[in-house]
Amino acid sequence: MIKVMGAFFTTMTGVACLLIVLMVAIILGNILVHGLPRLSWEFVSAEPRTGMTEGGIFPAIFGTVALVILMTLAGVPVGVATAIYLHEYAPQDSKLVNWVRLALQNLAGVPAIVFGLFGLGFFVHFMGGGIDKLVFGGELSFGQPCILWASLTLAVLTLPTVVVATEESLRAVPKAYREAAYALGATRWQAIRRVVLPQSVGGILTGTILAISRGAGEVAPIMFTGAAYYLPYLPHKLNDQFMELGYHIYVLTTQSPDVEATKPILYSTVLVLLLVTFALNVAAVLIRSRIRRRLRGS
Amino acid sequence: MIELKGFSAWFGTAAVLRDISLRILPQEIFGVIGPAGSGKTTLLRSLNRLNDLAPSFRRSGSVTVLGVDISGEAVNFPELRRTAGMVFAVPVPLPGTIRDNLRLGPRFSGRDRNMEPLVEECLKAAFLWDEVKDRLDQSALTLSGGQQQRLCLARTLMLEPDILLLDEPCSGLDPISTARIEDALEELKSRLAIVLVTNNIMQASRVADRTAFFLHGRLVECALTETLFVNPKEKTTHDYISGRFG
Repeated sequence: MIKVMGAFFTTMTGVACLLIVLMVAIILGNILVHGLPRLSWEFVSAEPRTGMTEGGIFPAIFGTVALVILMTLAGVPVGVATAIYLHEYAPQDSKLVNWVRLALQNLAGVPAIVFGLFGLGFFVHFMGGGIDKLVFGGELSFGQPCILWASLTLAVLTLPTVVVATEESLRAVPKAYREAAYALGATRWQAIRRVVLPQSVGGILTGTILAISRGAGEVAPIMFTGAAYYLPYLPHKLNDQFMELGYHIYVLTTQSPDVEATKPILYSTVLVLLLVTFALNVAAVLIRSRIRRRLRGS
Repeated sequence: MIELKGFSAWFGTAAVLRDISLRILPQEIFGVIGPAGSGKTTLLRSLNRLNDLAPSFRRSGSVTVLGVDISGEAVNFPELRRTAGMVFAVPVPLPGTIRDNLRLGPRFSGRDRNMEPLVEECLKAAFLWDEVKDRLDQSALTLSGGQQQRLCLARTLMLEPDILLLDEPCSGLDPISTARIEDALEELKSRLAIVLVTNNIMQASRVADRTAFFLHGRLVECALTETLFVNPKEKTTHDYISGRFG
């Protein structure tokens, strides 16, 4: 009987694993089979033509990469600073810390579409409109959806990920290291800067990678805050709109005048989105391992 | 050098040190012995205020280091910790090269220019120079345990302290590494005061000029090492050093 039960659970857990592998294989297989034929140099380097049934998706690739980079630059420093404050400076039983943590947990549970509406209300209308009124004398320049507000919205969305990962890695630094730093006459900031942060940089970058993965695939937060249906030019100012791969996929699926005709392009676009996300991840992983190697002191 | 008057310390509600009064003189090795939980380490960490990192720590009484009262809140902690350099029980080589480790202290104080002569001097004082002089740019983690502890000693000496606080510096080391550190201490005491907390009674008898015996947070007896070991006043001291408990 015990033997039978053992075999049963071994099989069941094995099947569960297999199911996951199978699903990934089906998704990737499907995308590869349908997406590869249309993939060409022209596809990744040219603009869409003739109602998006011809040409390429370069503006969307460019927009996605620019968006993710801006998001990272805006969100990661704030997230890391928050985590450092929470873990290193704030008294651990204070009300403020509990409130910040509660806020972060709630932030992590907010649906992406709500972030989109928040971005539209807060960034585009309140911030952007305010800037226009104060700086540009009421002329419309920042009070409209654009890449700046979209990346800031995404930065807010990914903030909890960065904070939690950073705090986790700060916690992992042994107490002995901090004490050694203090015993060598370090101020609190010097101990953090010279001893704690170098130790936890791996975890911080892991958080960044997770944030990039999450941010690069989100469509809902950028729908109202900056992504464009079609643009004949690349964004070159912070208040330009932009095309984005995820949003482009949404557009091709639902908004195109001829959905059947865009189907092959759709598959290839999905493939490119996966590849771009993957490439951004690999870049971050490479940076991380380089920094780690340098810190270990060759 | 150091003077404690009626010093008591608590973690939470547990009293760790009770009413300690003692003096540590320049150019001596002051041994502190006692069983685990007797308050030796807390005493040591009271001298550079490292206990204050724990939120539940409380203290009363006064501690004076080089004539300055360090029991208040207005203490310059980095300055105090440079004056009273500490070496921990477990070697804590920080990531980076051997040279990085040595330069860390001067770097914190912003006086890290032209460090090479001092690096060599401190490594020699810690009896480590010959073993590492050709590999200063290798990771400190490549050193053996005994070498790491001597690196930590050299790293502390880079602060040019007046007092050296040693918390069981040889507890994890083999006899040869221990002998090297003891040799280093013998030479160092000509220019600074050394407080040596040790679980190894023989080590105290070998290197300490005076020795204090602690039990349950109280200072039982403090005397010249020879007197304490040959002719202890208290029975508990006698029992401890003859190995009857602890």
